[in-house]
Amino acid sequence: MKHSIDVSMLEPCEPLERTLAALRELQPGDYLHVIHRREPMLLYPLLEQGGFSWRTRPGGPAGYEVFIWRRGDDVAGQPALQDAETR
Amino acid sequence: MTPSVANLSLEQAPPISVPFRFFLSAPLFLLAAALLLCWFGPDALASRWSYQTLALTHLFTLGVLTSVMFGALFQMLPVLAGSPVPRVTLIASWVHLLLTVGTVGLVASFLLGSAFGLTVAGAVLGLAIVVFVSAIALALWRVEVANVTITAMWLAVIALGITAALGLHLVVGMSGLAPLVRPFFYTNLHLAWGLLGWVALLLMGVAYQVVPMFQVTPEYPVWIRQRMVPVLFAGLIVWGLLAGAAAYGRLPSGAATGWMGLLVVGYLLFAGVTLRLQRQRRRRVSDVTVLFWRTGLIAVGVCGLLWVLGRFLPGWDARLEPDLLLGVGLLLGTAVSLVNGMLYKIVPFLSWFHLQNRQLASGCLSVRVPNMKELLSDRAAKRQYWVHLAAIGCCAGAALVPDWLARPAGLLLGISALLLGKNLFSVVTIYRRTNRELLAASPVSGTTPGGDIAPAP
Repeated sequence: MKHSIDVSMLEPCEPLERTLAALRELQPGDYLHVIHRREPMLLYPLLEQGGFSWRTRPGGPAGYEVFIWRRGDDVAGQPALQDAETR
Repeated sequence: MTPSVANLSLEQAPPISVPFRFFLSAPLFLLAAALLLCWFGPDALASRWSYQTLALTHLFTLGVLTSVMFGALFQMLPVLAGSPVPRVTLIASWVHLLLTVGTVGLVASFLLGSAFGLTVAGAVLGLAIVVFVSAIALALWRVEVANVTITAMWLAVIALGITAALGLHLVVGMSGLAPLVRPFFYTNLHLAWGLLGWVALLLMGVAYQVVPMFQVTPEYPVWIRQRMVPVLFAGLIVWGLLAGAAAYGRLPSGAATGWMGLLVVGYLLFAGVTLRLQRQRRRRVSDVTVLFWRTGLIAVGVCGLLWVLGRFLPGWDARLEPDLLLGVGLLLGTAVSLVNGMLYKIVPFLSWFHLQNRQLASGCLSVRVPNMKELLSDRAAKRQYWVHLAAIGCCAGAALVPDWLARPAGLLLGISALLLGKNLFSVVTIYRRTNRELLAASPVSGTTPGGDIAPAP
């Protein structure tokens, strides 16, 4: 199941905080779609640290979109990747 | 499409103590400047050539501004460019020690009129800058994909090298080791490369990143980002040549003044564009960093006006001290305001980020990581902003009527420095307390990677 959050109007560190909070609620098979106005470079090491995989797509309503799922969760990973590659 | 590879390795980022030692030095040097102004009163603002004024100026430029900018560069290079400074903890420790000792020594030598002290302090500061510039240049050299901020860092660091070389030339002359020819020209050159080169170009390059990021504004126009800093750097070189030709009697001085006028337009343009971006903020909530930046950018406009009036309206400044007023406006009004505002974002953000990382690494969810507003309250930061604003006004007044206002200006500056120090040290206290709690509560001690941020399903 896809969950979406828009953090494009927030100032640091709220985009990171909201994203991490949403990830805590993620159930197996779910993935998170984040709408951001900048590429969230500082999110990546936190995702790495937390055991998540992701794809970032430039564009979308604010500038960047990030698709995140739990590492090893193929049920979430496959639709997330398809979603990320769909223009 | 960005692949699932961490672009920024946390192992590359320096320990938080590296930038913080520089950032926390700034309020201490600001307090020292305030004490100097209180102690010497009007004598500290007698003329730009008095030893007390030189001591005061270098407490601002080296103690406050350069300290913070060194810390920011050590922190930002790995984050922005993926290119860490080699052996960063060791190098930063030495650079911080040399810069601090050298600044204190230089200021003491100015106040005591010690030629020997000036020579030693100049050598220590020279060593600090050589080590810093070499380490940063090596890291910049290794950057694989340059961007506008990296270019600005390169040019600012070169400007720092030029400023330091000119400063050492002046120290050698003032110490009596060699004759000091055309001191007015070399002092102006040193001052221009320091303020308009090192300080301004680095602040501009960093602004391209932090203004849109932290103040939630649109991006700077591409033509500003790509051209402004290199054009101003080249413009400073041309101005130096014209001013040198004038100093040695090869050209009338009007050519250099006219050229500087063009550069002033460039800096005003940058300030105007930044103010315009701030007016287009997407989220119009009150923000103390925006207040500091707005103050600093408006001060650029005021300084530009003062400079134009001083140069092109003869007789206008007969009753004023335009150089001192410009010094107050550029150093305290612009540079300290911008750096102070930036500290209020960078220090809480780095604290939050390091704590968040510690929590993810340890898998410890029982300890709550405070957010930026909890690390530093808006109210405390705003209180310091208003005192800072009053200090700028009083210092500007003191440049005009030093007998009346020099000591009140020192008092206000001292209160502002104490409040800034209290605010920054309170962030560090909360950081250290939370970090201890995370370590104590952590089921996995240390920073073992692979922790999860949710309980295992």
